[in-house]
Amino acid sequence: MAEQQKVSSSESLRSTRTFGKVRCHNPSCMGRLSPSPGSKEISCPTCGMTYRLFWVTPELPRIRGPVWDVNRKLAQDTLAKKTGAPDGDSQ
Amino acid sequence: MEKFLTVDADKCTGCRLCEQVCSVMHEGVSNPAKSRIQVVKWEQEGVYIPVICKQCEDAPCMNVCPVRAISRDPDFGFLKVDQEVCIGCRSCVGICPFGAMGYNPTTRQVFKCDLCGGDPQCVRFCEVNAVEFVPVDRVSAQKKRRGAARQSAAERQATALG
Amino acid sequence: MALDRKIAYINLSTREVEIKPIPLEMRKKFIGGRGMDAYLLYNHAPEGCDPLGPENPLIVSGGLLTATCASATARTHVMAKSPLTGLLGSCNMGGFFAPELAWAGFHHLVITGKADKPVYLWIHNGDIEIRDAEYLWGKNSTDTQWAIRNELDDQEVKSMVIGQAGENLVTYACVMTGIKNAGGRTGMGCVMGSKNLKAVAVRGTMDVKIAHPKDALEHNKKFIDQITSAKVNQIQGALGTPFIWGATNCWGGVRTRNFQYNQMEYADEIEPEAIDDIATETMGPHHMTGCFGCQVHCRAQYKIQSGLYAGKYDEGPEYTSLGAFGAEPDCKSAETVLTGNHLVNQYGVDNLEIGSMIAWAMELYELGILTQKETEGIDLRFGNDEALLQMVHNICTRTGWLGNVLADGGIPAAEKIGKNSFDYLIQVKGMNNLHSDERATPGLALNIATASRGSDHLRSRPAIDLYHLPEPVLRKIYGSPVPYDGPLSSEHTEYIGKPWQVFWQENVYMAVDCLGICKYHTVFLGATLPNFEDWPEVIYYNTGLEFTPKEIWDAAERCNNLERLFNLREGLTRNDPKKGDTLNHRYFDEPCRRGAPDVIGKKIDRDKFNVMIDEFYDHHGWDKEGVPTSETLQRLGLENEPTRLL
Repeated sequence: MAEQQKVSSSESLRSTRTFGKVRCHNPSCMGRLSPSPGSKEISCPTCGMTYRLFWVTPELPRIRGPVWDVNRKLAQDTLAKKTGAPDGDSQ
Repeated sequence: MEKFLTVDADKCTGCRLCEQVCSVMHEGVSNPAKSRIQVVKWEQEGVYIPVICKQCEDAPCMNVCPVRAISRDPDFGFLKVDQEVCIGCRSCVGICPFGAMGYNPTTRQVFKCDLCGGDPQCVRFCEVNAVEFVPVDRVSAQKKRRGAARQSAAERQATALG
Repeated sequence: MALDRKIAYINLSTREVEIKPIPLEMRKKFIGGRGMDAYLLYNHAPEGCDPLGPENPLIVSGGLLTATCASATARTHVMAKSPLTGLLGSCNMGGFFAPELAWAGFHHLVITGKADKPVYLWIHNGDIEIRDAEYLWGKNSTDTQWAIRNELDDQEVKSMVIGQAGENLVTYACVMTGIKNAGGRTGMGCVMGSKNLKAVAVRGTMDVKIAHPKDALEHNKKFIDQITSAKVNQIQGALGTPFIWGATNCWGGVRTRNFQYNQMEYADEIEPEAIDDIATETMGPHHMTGCFGCQVHCRAQYKIQSGLYAGKYDEGPEYTSLGAFGAEPDCKSAETVLTGNHLVNQYGVDNLEIGSMIAWAMELYELGILTQKETEGIDLRFGNDEALLQMVHNICTRTGWLGNVLADGGIPAAEKIGKNSFDYLIQVKGMNNLHSDERATPGLALNIATASRGSDHLRSRPAIDLYHLPEPVLRKIYGSPVPYDGPLSSEHTEYIGKPWQVFWQENVYMAVDCLGICKYHTVFLGATLPNFEDWPEVIYYNTGLEFTPKEIWDAAERCNNLERLFNLREGLTRNDPKKGDTLNHRYFDEPCRRGAPDVIGKKIDRDKFNVMIDEFYDHHGWDKEGVPTSETLQRLGLENEPTRLL
């Protein structure tokens, strides 16, 4: 059957994996953030979005969710800038 | 060093991969009915317990066998069935207190866990370590440590509350 | 041998059962599972048949690799003409049913006719028996399964059942197995109910011979390592699918308040980690469970902590339950999510569809299109947890005017409610969308618009588009097994190259559905997970069948085209807002207002979207109307369908 030593593309991609880091959840930022082990929050130096952290294992951090007030303000400012009008979203 | 299979049912996710790999390893077929290990489930409560031969010291299967087909492996200490000798009477199946003896309707003989000759596949494949293969002298040491940790956590909590 | 599993034709009207082998050349062409189901449906469903009539075939199957020594091949696929959409009905679920069916000797069941009173099928080591189910009628999905086990005196029996929703012909009723495995989409439980078929119970102890057992075992180890080493699966194994919901909500990709917002703010109580805490408190630290032979163990076990259902055990909640009972109705309580999840599992109804239907009704209520008169006193505003759960009961039991209307599915309900209610229904081909918002991601929008079973993410979603992988990496993935040198973009808000990605994903997902593998084991959420290049070995070691990656791709494309042919035959046209490859107007007209800065203000550009559809058709070899050309059919060997070879 197929040559056993051949590495498929999905296998070769595995070598690019990094632990201990998260990526900014702003999809067009995707900046790599390296939180210090055990820390609870991190801000993206590039785009300013701020997140709460959760550690799946001591080596595997994960973004738990936004720091709501910070990111909400960011969103509202961006919307105002893009549409030229403040957001009526107040619920 | 003699080793044991130990089961931590709390960790078992109930996926039954152990049954699959066991039957492939021993029979070349996928068929949980022919697996040496079986996960007994209470799905309505989400409780899964892998059941496997304990390789008893005073083994009822060995004692009951009328043709002495079951003997202890001198190197690894597990009990094995000599398929040349087994007459398929199923006395061992009836007497095993754990239900760990199986009967193969294809070969009409009994089968049991042989620790895969020293490299148990159920252990190799279990990612959550619900089944482990540990040296005899460490079995209770590990349990002691876990028990002590629980006790110490409880004590710390009690102190904090007090 | 996996290849000697058979197909059974069961007519519930005449009580006739016919069992046939599956020819090898059919395996080569359609592989098994969903692909073979598509062949059977196209061949056995009469054109224009009534989805709830006796002639609509209900096709139940396991994949080619089901019950072999290949990891996570536990998926059951069910197909029929859908009572919800009138087009392709197709659903897929995990659990332990399909392997048991294979050990009982079968890969495919084709169930036609209608029993004159409730029955269930009992399939045991090659035998099929039709048994009385009158005592089971009215029971929920789990009670039914345990009652069958007790009747047959075998706790190892696995059953695929319907709950009360299926009996009551809710058009989006599920088929269920185990605690929470649900074939949820397109109302296959409703088809079962229409046949008076309460359950299919199976038990098998027959060998599935492995072609090369030693190699299969070793290769399985390597495969599992590849799968469990993916970070995405490690997180799945800790938090389950809610982790996707949490991450998506974080940047603003979660549908909220029907379609008014793209993020549920201050959702702390139902974040995946919060659900994990509840599961840990009620079930202990090791509270994850898995499907047969799977080491990802992506589903949480929990007990409801408070409320009317306190102490009840269940599994989940999945992404869709967080959407259905969280963001969509804008209810922020974990108790509501866990209770709602429990109710849909017990009634056997699609959580995704019911959540969308209720959220839609809530928006209509707030707009005044529905009033207290229609809701019969229920204050159906967003954020009313009690009203939400009451509506779940009402729909599943068809209680009250509104419950009854919503149980018919979105388009019929819009016709009954009238006014401009249809404008607010977030559907494609009559089926509601996953609780995600695709306005910032044109590739994902193309996916839901063109998915064969109606708005759905598990047919062709290029989810890795959101990872902004460098272009060379995208080329590596999307350029095999057929070369592609057209444009590709790492930018998720772009339109270029997306049609190819969606086309490629469509074939990958079809291939895993044919093999019976779960989508967490392929390029769905993780770029490093197996795809075409990795499967030939698994297939060969387990079944002895030789495939090249390209042959798997071709088979997948063939099966996708069969699904397309079925949809076209049943009335799909490109621009039909109710049966076409279209999106709700809100995708084009209303910009996103929450989430990450780049998502804000995004909506889908109509013209660019149409160009994407053109390109997408072009990759398939379809004409501008989305119809496969005769050259395409010939290339795939489909020119003579239906051929009735099975």
